Amino acid sequence: MGKLAFMSESSVSKSVPERRKLSAGPLSTGDKWFFRTTSIAANFAFVLVAFILVFLFIQALPALTSQGLPFVYGTEWNNQKDPIVMQIGPMIWGSLLIGAIGVIFATPLAVSLAYLIVFMLPSRLAKVATTLVDLLAALPSVIIGLWGLFVFSPVAAEWATILNKYLGWIPIFQVKSADNGFGGSPFIAGWIVAIMIVPIITSITREVFSQLDRDLINGALALGGSKFSTFRRVIFPTSAGAVVGGILLGLGRALGETVAIYYVLQITFNINWAQILEPNGGAVASMILSKFGEATQDEVSGLIAAGLVLFILTLGINFIASIIVNRAQPWRKN
Amino acid sequence: MSFAPRPAVQPWARVNTARRIQILLASVLPLAATVLIIILTGLDKNMALLGVFLPLQLIAAAVVGFNAFGKRGVGDAALIVLVIFFATFVLVLLASVVVSLVSQGAQAMSWGFFTTNNRYVSNTTSLEYGGVGHAIIGTLLVVGLTTVVTVPLGIAMAIYLTQSQSKTKGVIRTLTQAISGLPSVVAGLFILSIAITLDWQKSGLLGSMALLPLMLPTVARVAEEALRLVPVDLRYAALALGAPNYRAFFQVILPAAKSGLVTAILLGVARIIGETAPLILTVPISNGTSWDLFSGEIMTLPAYVYNYLGSAFVPSQNRAWGAALVLMILVAILFGTTRILSRSKSLKSKPTKEKASK
Repeated sequence: MGKLAFMSESSVSKSVPERRKLSAGPLSTGDKWFFRTTSIAANFAFVLVAFILVFLFIQALPALTSQGLPFVYGTEWNNQKDPIVMQIGPMIWGSLLIGAIGVIFATPLAVSLAYLIVFMLPSRLAKVATTLVDLLAALPSVIIGLWGLFVFSPVAAEWATILNKYLGWIPIFQVKSADNGFGGSPFIAGWIVAIMIVPIITSITREVFSQLDRDLINGALALGGSKFSTFRRVIFPTSAGAVVGGILLGLGRALGETVAIYYVLQITFNINWAQILEPNGGAVASMILSKFGEATQDEVSGLIAAGLVLFILTLGINFIASIIVNRAQPWRKN
Repeated sequence: MSFAPRPAVQPWARVNTARRIQILLASVLPLAATVLIIILTGLDKNMALLGVFLPLQLIAAAVVGFNAFGKRGVGDAALIVLVIFFATFVLVLLASVVVSLVSQGAQAMSWGFFTTNNRYVSNTTSLEYGGVGHAIIGTLLVVGLTTVVTVPLGIAMAIYLTQSQSKTKGVIRTLTQAISGLPSVVAGLFILSIAITLDWQKSGLLGSMALLPLMLPTVARVAEEALRLVPVDLRYAALALGAPNYRAFFQVILPAAKSGLVTAILLGVARIIGETAPLILTVPISNGTSWDLFSGEIMTLPAYVYNYLGSAFVPSQNRAWGAALVLMILVAILFGTTRILSRSKSLKSKPTKEKASK
């Protein structure tokens, strides 16, 4: 104590030093370069998105100007006509339909899986289950496509037959003729997509479930709640936001899925509103792949325009999704 | 980790022999009944699963639940049965993928399959000739180039998101997340339109470029999480001792986050190694071996699968399965390594992790 007093006394006796400039910025040259490099790298994200938009737009322009607005809602693609007709209405609707089917199948599966992992399994088994789900996420889509074509499609076609037989009176399960078989339908493509988005929804739901306040759950149980009512009244309301975000992320993935759908879906340019068992459907991304092989120069421009539409669609959905997810996971912020 | 014991009328009498027997019966009987019905009536298996097994199981569990807890037990029973049913369903699908991949792909496996290329191989050539050697080389080259460029970029991005005080961090993070949803076919079209605009020839280089936007968000996000796990106190201590930020990063944070950053790289590679659509759009395929990334044709594993999958000939389909198995093995190796890394890390740094999350 005495030493401190002595020090303060001596510093008072000296003249007051000039006020040092306070700065939160980097002081040394090395630091300046350090932050400059990293900020250039970070701003590359802007550059990338801008580049994607600009270059896609440049190459899509010929098709967009020649086709006009019907490009997005028309239902014909004919490279024999002069001038060429390129319209992707059925593909956009097909993508949305398949995405919706995928999300409807995937959500209960994913939420159940997350509930099982967080609340029911002992921690060691939970880790194994988590790893398996992550492995499912790591499967390349071409492998899912291969499996979907040779293994899954026949099984799913049987499911579709059953659905049509017993629930055929519901309009969406009707088909024009059962002789066409039940392969290549949006139903099967929807299942394939569901398998690919289950891990996305599961991982987000699992994280939210595991961050829930344990006291809240135990309190609900102590007040006499059953597991079911605790889930319905406590767990579900507090995590619904993040689950919705996860579903949107999954939808974005579903719209962009290319190769897997390409193998299991019968792509036609007849719009299929909701006859999900009909072997007739569309998907923007898969259509691009299927047409690309023998595309003329005009068609390539049309395909790039389709890619631009797809990009804007998925970017919008992902943007909204990541805002929702970030808002629902406040512990992620700095 | 599981729920606190459910409040029963008599909590101490919750687990007794009678109830145990009930639970056992409820979990065995529906399955047995379903199997019996399938054998006796020849009912379709899929039909039996949804139309017989699930309702029976729900009823059985509801009865047990009702006996134990009255009305509220029914809801619990339904929740448990549905959760286990759905979760098992997903795991069965995953198992089906892996099993069919291994059983079908194993036919093609031989030493020659890994080392030879497909020159002089036609659709009907037997599997003893030809292989995926050239595709493995191509994949390593294309993915390698992408990795070399993307990793510094992604890690620098992660540094920016964790170390700097800039205000645009939130925007960049959201944007990166949005890019991670970029459809792979659009990434291919993007590079294709650059190539058309600037009149470049298709080559392996374009494929590498097309994979970059797909890999970048993964690397950036995982690296960011890895850097965030390092306690801020360590960095502040280094800065307080007079170290400039870059030395604090390279000498304090980087060693602490090393395994996390390696995980980021591996997950990034695993993300793009199976990407097919961008490579189909930008890389011309060949049947011979090529080491030239910057011009000419080059084969990659996903393109190999894609190319032979569409074939109507059985040997070609088997080639596709074989190549898919090779691809899966590569993904599994990358994935397994990340698991091992993260396990050793979480063992070492458990207390610090808690501090970082506060």
